[in-house]
Amino acid sequence: MLPQKKLLRGLSAALALYALTTSAHAADTIKIGWLSSLTGALSSAAIAENQGVQFAIDQINKSGGINGRQIELLTRDTAGDPTKAVNLANQLIHSDKVAFIIGPVNSGESLATVPIVARSGTPNIVISTVDELTDPVKYPRAFRVISTNEQWIKNANDYVTKTLKKSKIAIIGDNTGYGVATAKKAAALLEAQGIKPVYSVVVDANKTSLTDEVTKAREAGADVIMPWTAATGLLARILNARGDMQWNVPVVGHPAIMGTPIKALLNMPSYWDNTYSVGYASTTYDNSGKLPEATQKLMDEIRPKLDGKIDFTFWWVAMGYDAVKVIEHAIGTAGSTDPQAIQAALEKTQNLKGVYSPYYSYGPKSRNGFPDSGIAINRANTFKDGSFDRAPQ
Amino acid sequence: MLIVLVTGLAMGALYAAAALSYNVMYSTSKVLSVTTGHLFMVSGIVGAYLIGDLKWHWFFGLLGAVATSTVFGLITEFVAIRRVLARSDEHLWLLSTLALATIVQQGFGLWWGTEPRPFPRLIPQDFSDGAWDQRFWLPIGAVMLIVIALEFFYRRTLFGKIFMAVSEDPFAARARGVATDRIRALSFAIAGLLGGFVGFAAAQLTYAYFSLGLSLTLYGFIALAAGGMGSNMGALAGGVLLGLLTSIATYFFGGSYQQTIAVGLLMAFLLLKPEGLFGNRNSRIV
Repeated sequence: MLPQKKLLRGLSAALALYALTTSAHAADTIKIGWLSSLTGALSSAAIAENQGVQFAIDQINKSGGINGRQIELLTRDTAGDPTKAVNLANQLIHSDKVAFIIGPVNSGESLATVPIVARSGTPNIVISTVDELTDPVKYPRAFRVISTNEQWIKNANDYVTKTLKKSKIAIIGDNTGYGVATAKKAAALLEAQGIKPVYSVVVDANKTSLTDEVTKAREAGADVIMPWTAATGLLARILNARGDMQWNVPVVGHPAIMGTPIKALLNMPSYWDNTYSVGYASTTYDNSGKLPEATQKLMDEIRPKLDGKIDFTFWWVAMGYDAVKVIEHAIGTAGSTDPQAIQAALEKTQNLKGVYSPYYSYGPKSRNGFPDSGIAINRANTFKDGSFDRAPQ
Repeated sequence: MLIVLVTGLAMGALYAAAALSYNVMYSTSKVLSVTTGHLFMVSGIVGAYLIGDLKWHWFFGLLGAVATSTVFGLITEFVAIRRVLARSDEHLWLLSTLALATIVQQGFGLWWGTEPRPFPRLIPQDFSDGAWDQRFWLPIGAVMLIVIALEFFYRRTLFGKIFMAVSEDPFAARARGVATDRIRALSFAIAGLLGGFVGFAAAQLTYAYFSLGLSLTLYGFIALAAGGMGSNMGALAGGVLLGLLTSIATYFFGGSYQQTIAVGLLMAFLLLKPEGLFGNRNSRIV
C-alpha cells in the first residue's frame, strides 16, 4: 500500500473514532437551552436567575447527573429582544436539539417564543408572569415555575382591601403592553370585588414628573396608590411625587418597587416608607429575622460564588435554581428525555418541594405550579441579602 | 395644572435643544444624525458620574460632561459622517449614525447599568417647591442661553458667517477657500457642546439613563419637522409646542396617547405644511 493511502486510511479511522466518541458523548448528555436576557435594558433579573440556573446544573452534575447523564447547559443571550429570542429558540430546538428550554425571561420575549417552542413539542419551563403564557391545550408542554401576574395582582388587591381596609384606590400603569394589560386586569379584579377604582391612568414609562397624576389621584379621593409598572424611574417618580406633596397614603404594587435602584432615585429616603409590594414567602424574614430553611441553605451555598454579597432580589436566584430542579425531577421521573414522557411526568407532579416556591403542583389541566401560599406582601424599604420584612398584617 | 405646563415647557425645552443640535449639524452637512439624542445622554451620565460618584464640584462636572459630549460630536463626524459623505451620495449616513448611536448606547448600558440613576442637585433647594423646582427651570434656562448664544454666533462672528456660507452653498464656500470639511467637523463639535450643556441641565428631570438618547433623537426630529428645518426659531417653537401638547394631552387623555399625538403631529406637518412653522419652502428650479 502506498504511504499516502496508508496515511489516509489512518486518518479516516481516527476521524471515525473521534466522531463516534463525540456523538456517544453528545448522546450521553442532556442538553438544556437557557434563553436569558443577560445584556440590555432588562438584564437585572436574568443575571440573577442565571446564577441560580448555573448553580443547580453544577450541583446536579457533581452528584452524578440525572439518571447518570450529565447536563449540558446552552445559554443564549436574547438581549431582551423578542426577535432574537425566537431565532435563538429555533436554533436550540432544530440545530442543538435540546431536551428542554428554560425561558425566555421577559414577558415580551416569552409571548413571542413560547408558541414557537410549543409547536416543536419541546418541553419549556416558563419563567414569565404573563397569564397567557400557559395553556394546557395550546402549549401542553409549557410548565410555569414563577407565580402568575394574576396571583401578584390578586394578592396585592387583597392586602389593600382586606388588611389595610382601603377601598378608594388609584391605579397607575405604564404604557407598555405589560403596564396597560396589568392596570386593566387590576381594575377588573377590583371591580369583581365590588370596588371601582376612584382613579385609573396609564402613563408613559419615561414620564419625567408624576406630580400631575398623583395630584389627580388625591383630588379623586384616593387613599392608596397601586402602581403596576416594572419601570424603576416611573416608580421612583410616583414615590417622589407623593413625598414632595407630603401625602402619606400607602403605595402597594409591582415587585420592582422594592428594587435597590429605587432608593438612589428618591428625593428623600423616607419617601420609601409606607410602600409595600408583592413578594415571596421564600424571601421574607419571619418575626425573629430568619428566612425559610431552604432559602437560607441555598443562600449560604451560593454566597461564595457571589463574592459574599447578595445585592439583588434573591428570589430570582431561587427561581432559576428551581427551574433546573423541576427539569431534574421531570427527566428523572420520566426516565428519559422523551417529550411525551416528560409531559406525563410533570402532569403527575404534586407537592414537589422547591426553594423559591414551597412546592410545585401541576395536573393534566394545570400548567401553573406555584401556589398562592408562596406569595407574601413585603415592606419595600427593608432589603437585606435579597430578602424583605413582611408588611404589617 | 401649573405643574403640567411647567413639565411640558421643560420637556419642550429639551426637545427644542435636540432640534437645535440637529440644525447645527444639518447646516453644514445636510445630515440628520441619529446620535443627536445621545449627545444629551452622554452628558447626563458623565455628569452624574463625575459629581455623584467622583464627588467633583458641579462646575468641573459640567466642564467634564460638556467636553465628553463635544468629543463625541467630533467622533461622530469623523467615524460616521466624513467617510460616508466622501464615498456616497446615498443617505448611508442614516445607517452609519444609527450604528454609532447603538454602539454608544450599549456601551453606556454596560458601563453605567441599564437602570436609571440619580443626577445630583446642583442648587440647594427643598423638594417641596413644586413647579419652581430647579429640575424644570434649569433646562429651560439653559436652552434660552443656547438660543441667544447661537444667534450671536451666527450673526456676529466670522465663524458664524462661514457656517451660513457653507450652509447656503458649500461649493461656492469651498471656491472661496473655506475648508468645508473642518467647518462640518466644528459644527458637530458645537452640536455636542450644545447637547452636552442642556443634557447636563436637564439630567435631574430625565435621570442619568442609558436609553434616553433614541427617544430624544425622535422627539427632537419631530420638533424640527414642526418648526421647520434649518430655522433656530422654528426648532424652539417646535420643541415647546411638542412638549406642551404631549404634556397637556397626557393630562387629559392619559399616557396611552402620548406617542400617537407626537407622531401624529409629525405626520400632520409633513402632509400639510412640510416646510414647518418657520422653514423656507424649497422650490425646485426646473
